[in-house]
Parts: sequence; C-alpha cells; structure tokens
Amino acid sequence: MRVLAVADVGRMILKGGSARVHEPLAARFAPGDRVIAKNVNPVGHTRLPRYVRGRRGVVARDHGVFVFPDTHAAGLGRKPQHVYSVRFAARDLWGPDASPRDAIYVDLWDDYLDPEGDR
Amino acid sequence: MSGGHEHEHDVEYTAPLGETELRVKALESLLTEKGLVDPRALDELIDLYEARVGPRNGARVVARAWVDPAYRKRLLENASAAIAELGFTGRQGEDMVVLENTPRVHNMVVCTLCSCYPWPVLGLPPVWYKSPPYRSRAVLDPRGVLREFGVAVGDEVEVRVWDSTAEVRYLVLPERPPDTEGRSEEELAALVTRDSMIGVGRPKAPERRPR
Repeated sequence: MRVLAVADVGRMILKGGSARVHEPLAARFAPGDRVIAKNVNPVGHTRLPRYVRGRRGVVARDHGVFVFPDTHAAGLGRKPQHVYSVRFAARDLWGPDASPRDAIYVDLWDDYLDPEGDR
Repeated sequence: MSGGHEHEHDVEYTAPLGETELRVKALESLLTEKGLVDPRALDELIDLYEARVGPRNGARVVARAWVDPAYRKRLLENASAAIAELGFTGRQGEDMVVLENTPRVHNMVVCTLCSCYPWPVLGLPPVWYKSPPYRSRAVLDPRGVLREFGVAVGDEVEVRVWDSTAEVRYLVLPERPPDTEGRSEEELAALVTRDSMIGVGRPKAPERRPR
C-alpha cells in the first residue's frame, strides 16, 4: 500500500487524473442528433440522473471518450465510450410552468442514450 | 461574546463534538496509527486548498479573457489548455469547459448527483453548492434560485443549467461589468466573485475613481 508522502502532495494534486481515454472510438451521435435518455434503474453506481430518464434531448457537443463509471465502479472494466452534452428543454422535463427558453445540459455516456424514434 | 454578564460562563466550556467530527477524528487517528496516512501530507493538502487553490485563480482566468480577445477565444475553444497557460491544473480540473454569459444567455452550474466542482480554478465547493436544496432546485427552478441569490434575469434571456455529473467541469465566464474601460487586469480580477463563476452571481461593480 502506497502512502502519500508530504513531498508528493503538490505534484499529485497539480497533475490530476483524467478519466479521458485516448482511443479513437467512433461516435454514435453527433451534435444536433435527437436522442432519448434510457429509462433504466440500475441498482449499482450510475451517473444517469433520474430526472432525464425517458426524456428527449438534443446532442449539443461531444466531449470525447471517457471511462464508463457504471462498469468501472463495479470492477467490471473501463468500457470507454463517448460522453455527450445533451440539451433538454426545461419544459420537456418540468412541464408548462417552466420557462419556454430555458434548458438543462447533462453530460451523458453513450450507453445511456438511444436515438429518437427507436422505441 | 455579546450575551452580557450573565452568559459569561459560556466562554468556559467547549461544546462536545458532533457525531461526524468524532467519526472523522477516529478515522484519522486509526489511519495515522496504522501508517496509512502521513499527517504531514494531510496538513500539506489542507494548506494547498486553504492558501493556494481557490477562486482567485478563476478570477485571473476571467480577467485575462476580458482584456485579451485571443486568450478568450482559446479559453472558449479549449478551456483546459488555456487555463493551464496560467498554471492552474490538477484534480477536478482535468477536463474543463468554459461557458460564456452574454446579454442573451445566462449559464449556471450544478452537480445534482454530488458536489463536482472545478477545484483548480474555484477551490473547494461552498456548503450550499453541496446541499440537496441547491442541487435539486438549480435544475427545477433556476430562475427562482437566481432570484434568491439576487440575480435578476429577464424573460428575454435564456437560462442554461449545466449539470456536471460526468467528467467535465464547468466555469462560467461572466460578462465584463460596464464602466471598466481602461482598468488593469489585476483591478478587473478583483471584481470577479466566486458566485459569478458558478453562475449564481454577477461580478462586482467597479468603485468610482477619484477625479
């Protein structure tokens, strides 16, 4: 077991540890694509917020490839995949009381998404 | 103490520690005694985030973007690299995106799942940022939350809420306050507040200069 030494603190913090994976995986979605967040309810760790499950959104940008926390946290491998910023209209999430202009952007892994029209 | 003479005895006693503090102290003792944690490394970590890493770093990024259009462009295109130019790198800032506020768009940041926050530019998150009310209401009623923070956003402005539950960390680039022409980068940085870089505040107005 490695113990963090006082001399290594600064370097460890400033270097950081990105979950980005430099693998040229093909992206399944591109900005502008309409998607649906899957309605799934896993028992283990997930970064798919409940409030977008089953909701429609539009891919706003592709952040690149990252380790998939759902499998990584369970010791089931890194399963690298694209993470997209998906724009959800506030009214599509919260109904007519929400502002017609506002939007919520959620970063979602490829496995959380289906193309719209798939169900 | 302002309680008056009859409360003077309050000063004599320290309140017992709460359950969480006791648990943390017990864990720290155990880890130290087992040799798993070097207490000097712990002190160094705390000193780093108390004295060297905090929202003044982010303020320097924002001020630079206000005075240097080429830097602003790099910041919006590749935030991690542009922020690293000023020496701010590390944990919870590996993959940064900067969101520019404009007269038409107001950005604000939340982490609904926990407390994700861009440490190298903002330091550690304030308590309210980690609290369940902020985390749920920021997405459900952003305009209401902004009102409570004293930020008025017109109906013509689009509010964008960024839920940073994945690996990207967000920094808001607030609009430069009016009447700041000719101010130095350092003077401008002093106007940039932590809350304005989370998107729940605005930069301070400049003090009038004596004529």
